[in-house]
Amino acid sequence: MRSSRLWRALPWNGLGVLPFLLFALLFLLLPTANIVAGAFVDSDGGFTLKNIFNIFTPEIMNAFWLSIRLSFTSALIGCILGFAIALAVVLGGLPSWIRGVVMTFSGVTSNFAGVPLAFAYVATLGRVGFVTLLLRDWFGVNIYALGFNMISFWGLVAAYVFFQIPLMVLIITPAIDGLKREWREAAEVLGATGGQYWRMVALPVLGPSLLGTLALLFANAFGAVATAIALTGSLLSIAPILLFNQIRGDVLQDPHLGYALAFAMIVITGISNGVYVVMRSRAERWIK
Amino acid sequence: MTVFKTLTSGVSLLAMLVAGAASAQSLDEITAAAKAEGNLTTIALPHDWCGYGAVLEGFKKKYPEIAVNELNPDGSSADELEAVRANKGNTGPQAPDVLDVGLSFGPAAKEEGLIQPYKVSTWDSIPAEAKDADGFWYGDYYGVMSFIVNTDMVKNVPADWADLMKPEYAGAFALSGDPRSGNQPLMSVMGAGMAMGGKPGAESAAKGLEFFAGLNKAGNFVPVAGKTGTIAQGATPIVAAWDYNALAWRDTLAGNPKAEVIVPASGTVAGVYVQAISAYAPHPNAAKLWMEYLYSDEGQLGWLNGYCHPIRFNDLAKRDVIPADMLAKLPPAAAYEKAVFPTLEEQAAHKEAVTAGWDATVGVKVE
Amino acid sequence: MKRILSWAAIAVGVVYFFLPLVGMLEFSLKMRRGEYSLDAYASVMGDPQFQATFGYSVLMACLTIVFGVLVVVPTVFWVRLKLPRLRPFMEFITLLPLVIPPIVIVFGYIRLFNTSSWLPLTGTTFGTDFLLMCGYAVLALPYMYRAVDTGLAAIDLRTLTEAAQSLGAGWITVLAKVILPNVLVAVLSGAFLTFAIVIGEYVFAALLDRPAFGPYLVWAGGNKAYEPAALAVITFALTWACMVLIQFATKFSKHTRMPR
Repeated sequence: MRSSRLWRALPWNGLGVLPFLLFALLFLLLPTANIVAGAFVDSDGGFTLKNIFNIFTPEIMNAFWLSIRLSFTSALIGCILGFAIALAVVLGGLPSWIRGVVMTFSGVTSNFAGVPLAFAYVATLGRVGFVTLLLRDWFGVNIYALGFNMISFWGLVAAYVFFQIPLMVLIITPAIDGLKREWREAAEVLGATGGQYWRMVALPVLGPSLLGTLALLFANAFGAVATAIALTGSLLSIAPILLFNQIRGDVLQDPHLGYALAFAMIVITGISNGVYVVMRSRAERWIK
Repeated sequence: MTVFKTLTSGVSLLAMLVAGAASAQSLDEITAAAKAEGNLTTIALPHDWCGYGAVLEGFKKKYPEIAVNELNPDGSSADELEAVRANKGNTGPQAPDVLDVGLSFGPAAKEEGLIQPYKVSTWDSIPAEAKDADGFWYGDYYGVMSFIVNTDMVKNVPADWADLMKPEYAGAFALSGDPRSGNQPLMSVMGAGMAMGGKPGAESAAKGLEFFAGLNKAGNFVPVAGKTGTIAQGATPIVAAWDYNALAWRDTLAGNPKAEVIVPASGTVAGVYVQAISAYAPHPNAAKLWMEYLYSDEGQLGWLNGYCHPIRFNDLAKRDVIPADMLAKLPPAAAYEKAVFPTLEEQAAHKEAVTAGWDATVGVKVE
Repeated sequence: MKRILSWAAIAVGVVYFFLPLVGMLEFSLKMRRGEYSLDAYASVMGDPQFQATFGYSVLMACLTIVFGVLVVVPTVFWVRLKLPRLRPFMEFITLLPLVIPPIVIVFGYIRLFNTSSWLPLTGTTFGTDFLLMCGYAVLALPYMYRAVDTGLAAIDLRTLTEAAQSLGAGWITVLAKVILPNVLVAVLSGAFLTFAIVIGEYVFAALLDRPAFGPYLVWAGGNKAYEPAALAVITFALTWACMVLIQFATKFSKHTRMPR
């Protein structure tokens, strides 16, 4: 073995993580950097902000705004309903087997996003879907005559919520577990009612977790493209489909615009995940 | 093995280039060179479009040494051109060799330098209006725009474009794709525009956009790409498609649900598609062999079997080569007699106006 | 009162989630006009495209799992053992695939690895398949890394490693014979999750033009009438099987753990 001091001073420990770093560099960091850089480059290779300016057309702005609205609404509904279910499972005094079943089921359905979800949705609430026909034949209610439309805003929210709720349940349950029983007992000893306990102790403690998970759900919905493509055949005007069509067929007649669109998407999901990380570190103060 | 194949194909290509530069290649030379290349990459050829499934099988049976790599079967004409653009200099499996795009996409591709010229041996029997004089693109088949209707869900079949505005068709009508990128939906818009009184060209675009804006506002337009699946699942009970597609889809549905194909009474527009070889084709000889096959009697009859009118239809009929039962299966000739075949200039003007104005005018918003 | 509300919440959840599943099951049985039949399933199973794309995706999933394990397990081990200060950096990197939308990542691959670049991966079928596998590994990275990290946190890494080394084991032996068996459960749960992700993945395979199961599903959705619902049922059953296997593996490990 060589014993020179220089040899020993080199960061040999880094070699152990070299394969991983190489992998992350080649297949995660460099492609992303390429896209970000490409957003600021024009046809001659020079620096330009033109691509970014070109995003602010009505068509693209509408697509992004729709994506943001859709993601936020489905995240909010998923957050509230998921929180309710998680509360019921952890603190609701239900038989203990319910928790295992709900957790497994949440694990399955949160991964059931994408194309099969769209099929299930059409098979249920489509024109000749199970629930549609059920409502029509048993209750005489024709939801389509009442204006229901799968491709409407609320129709899409309903589809997205399908995988948002289980994700919320999976993430928030450990946080609710972290609410120590001692806090509840201490609050009761000091004379607080159930409502006061929730308002002044539990919710402030859970707050960062709730907000952080909301941000995560938002980013999750924002990047989701397979479900929407399967539902509409890539005609829906949301940001990821716009990027998909731009990559596939250059529908916007400007190759550089693809980079700018991708960059804008990264910015939005980056901010959202940044919120999640900040909130998570604050939550970990109380819940270890 | 791949290196060896590349070397042999490279050597034989070089030999071809040297030998073929002086004179046009003979069919035998092309066949030998194509077999040496061993691969053909096609794009956007659904198996139920003009019977392409059977045509591809026929080609594979005739030349078993050539493996056919099919890309993106649901791709649109614009997707095909973008695939050529994105794969300049790429000799891998994502680069298409041959294209089948709408008529208006041919000259655009030629101008951009995306395609290379080739005149098949049966070149002279292709009508002059349907091919590029220099041989860059050449018509392959045509059909007329029609509606396919899911009669389980829609009781009164619409007879014309104007009928679609009726309130009974709420949430019922869809195009087969995005009119800014696909030729079939683009020509559907032209059909609608012509039915509203516009002449093919910028007028048909303006009136067509107006029609679809109205349809969207009335709530009768569904912003979903209509196809067999969506027709059966009820999302798009009425779809505008070429008659050959509509008939093929009706066959696929096999009565469950029941479907009917009708040609609208006015605004009967006929559309020609064109074949072309990519200028950056990784397997140019295989591409040429594919073209020779398509334009042989065997290939043309294959398309006829898929309810299409092949471009050499008149030539085949004159030489009495078409089997009588195939002829009987074709859509009725009455629609073809009053169909309008828009010229290149008209189609180009229409395409430009629709691509620019679709989002702003029709403005499909999700509420 | 609390119990009623809890049951109500669960009931709402049950209805919301079971209806689509029942819906797709019912629709998948309607292929034959007027009666329930398994025709759609027969059509799906007999479709050569289904067999080809499903087989391709299963193969890719297995390759991705092996690749992921080979990259992640030694890395987590090394970081825990020798480079604990690198942990926040690693956490950040493994969070990136959740931040950057997959469609952006694959767009980067297409631009970075085309035939006119310094690493022309898309130039050959094999190169593209390799690129796709790396893409899948990137998508599964957060889950795989987190699972293995949690698994390794539960064992006394330093003692085990030093004990093995004092008995003369080299690094490879330590990893293969000492560490891996102890984190097998964590690796398995990461593996099943990876499997579920790869089988249903659409964007990567579609934009890299590879014959995977995801693009086949989308194609079937547009072009076939009743088969998509059957495919959704099959996919759901598969995902369910993966999750149940994870639970099973976790329970099994509890039995083999010696009481301290």
